Amino acid sequence: MTSDDRLIYLDYAATTPVDPRVIETMSALSGEGADFANPSAVHAAGRRSGTHVARAATQLASLLNTQPDRFVWTSGATESNNLAILGAARHRQHRGKHLITMLTEHKAVIDVFRELERQGFDVTWLNPDASGVLDVADLEAAIRDDTQLVSIMHVNNETGAQQDIERIAECCLEHDVLLHVDAAQSVGKLPIDLSSLPVDLVSMTAHKLYGPKGVGALYIADKPDVHIEPVMFGGGQQRRLRPGTLAVPLIAGFGQAAEIASGRLEDDLEYLGTLRSRLWNGIRDIPGVQLNGDLSTSYPGLLNVSVDDIEGESLLLALEPLCVATGSACNSHNQDPSYVLRALGRSDSEAQSAIRFSLGRPSSKSDIDFAISQYQNAVARLRAMAPERAA
Amino acid sequence: MIGDPYSERVRALFDAPVHAGVLEGAPMVTVDDQGVRVQLSADIGDGSITAMRFLAWGCPHVIAAAESVCAGCEGRAVVDLETFVVAELMQSLPVPVEKSGRIIVIEDAVRSLGATLRKNPTSD
Repeated sequence: MTSDDRLIYLDYAATTPVDPRVIETMSALSGEGADFANPSAVHAAGRRSGTHVARAATQLASLLNTQPDRFVWTSGATESNNLAILGAARHRQHRGKHLITMLTEHKAVIDVFRELERQGFDVTWLNPDASGVLDVADLEAAIRDDTQLVSIMHVNNETGAQQDIERIAECCLEHDVLLHVDAAQSVGKLPIDLSSLPVDLVSMTAHKLYGPKGVGALYIADKPDVHIEPVMFGGGQQRRLRPGTLAVPLIAGFGQAAEIASGRLEDDLEYLGTLRSRLWNGIRDIPGVQLNGDLSTSYPGLLNVSVDDIEGESLLLALEPLCVATGSACNSHNQDPSYVLRALGRSDSEAQSAIRFSLGRPSSKSDIDFAISQYQNAVARLRAMAPERAA
Repeated sequence: MIGDPYSERVRALFDAPVHAGVLEGAPMVTVDDQGVRVQLSADIGDGSITAMRFLAWGCPHVIAAAESVCAGCEGRAVVDLETFVVAELMQSLPVPVEKSGRIIVIEDAVRSLGATLRKNPTSD
C-alpha cells in the first residue's frame, strides 16, 4: 500500500483496510431510510434489520462450513476470548478447575487465564518448540482428571506459527475436555472446516479479514456438553450470552468480508506466499539475521526476523516509512522483549530486535522490494553507529 | 498508549546524526550500562572541545541525546565536561521518564571523557 504520504504498510496482522464492497454494505445500513432498526424488535423495521444479521451469519457459516445459528456476535476477538474462556471455565468449575493454555497465546487469552488463576483456577502453561508449534504429546501429558478447558490459538499473531488444531481437537475430544481456539489470525485467511473439526469454541474478528473494527464472533459448537456462562448482563439478546443491541452495519460488514474471503482464500494464500518468499530471500543473507518460526509450516502472510546486535526500537524507527511491528501491535509501545519469542527460546536481545512483517491483499512486489531495501539500509546504518561490545 | 512517542526534535536528531562516528587518534571513552552502549571521542584545542563524535547502541532517544550532546559540547571548555548534567536535555528532547536511566549513561560518558581529557589530552 502506498499513499500520498508514502507510507508502506506491512502490518496486516494488526489490522486490514476495509474492503470497498464491505464499506458499501455498511453504508447502506446506516442512514435514514436504511434498515437501521434494532433487529431484536418485533416490528416490521426490526425484522428487516434482522434479515441482514441472518444473512451475515449465513455468510460466515459458509466460510467456516457450519450452521448460521452457532455464532454469538461480539465486539471483536478479545471479547470473544473473554466470553469463551471465562464462560466455559465458570460453567464447568463444579467438575474441576484445571485449565490448559500456551505461553505464546495472545494477551487477550493470557490475561484471561491470569484472572482465572487469581480466582482459584489451576492453569498449566504449555511451551511450544523452537518454531512455535505445540507438541500434542505435551498437551496429552498435561490433561488431568479435573481438566475442563484447553485454549490454543490457531495462528500465532507474532510468528505465524500454525498449530495442528485437528490433532489437538482429537486429543481434547478423547479426554472429554472443551477446546477453545483463538482464530483471530486465521479465519478468512486459512481454510477452516468446522463441520469436520471437533472444536468447541472459536474466537474471530472482522478487522483482520478486511472487515470493520468493532465486531467479532464466538462460534459455539452444537454439542450437548458445550455451554458457557455469560460475562455481561443487561438484556436477553443472543440467547442471553451477549446482551446489547446488535451492531447491524458492522455485522453485515463482517458477513460480507467473510463472503469475499471465501471466494479468494486459496489465491490470497498463494500470492502472500510468493511475496513472503521474495521478502525472506531479500534479507536472509544480511549477517546475523535469524528467522523466528518455520516457513514450511507457518501462515504465509507473516515473516518474523531478528538480527544480531541491533536495538529493536531504533530499528523500527529507522525503517520508517515502512509500517511494521515489533512484537504484536497491542504491545507496540511496550519495548520489553516479546514474551512469545522468549518462549521460543530466543534471547532477550534476539527478541528485542524482532520485526514482524505481515502481508496483505494490497501488498505489492514493489512494497516488498522497498521493505528489503529499507531493512538492509536500517541495519547497516545502526550497525555503523554502534560501538563494539566490550570483550 | 496512542500517539507518536518521539518529538520532532528527537526524530530530526535520530534521522541526521551528523556527529555519529569516531575521531581517529582522539581520546575516547565507552560506557556500557542500562542496556545502552555509548562511546565518545573528542579533539581539543586551547582547553576547549574542537570536535566530538559518538557511537551509540540504544533506543532513538539515546541516539538523539548523544547527537545533541556532541553538538552542544563542541566549543565548550574541557573542564565543563566533568560537571555535565543531562537534566535540561531530557526536558528539551523530551525523554520519557522510564528512559531516564539510559540518558544518564550519556551523562556518565561525558563526565568520563572529561576526566580522560584532563589526564591525557591527546590519545597515545
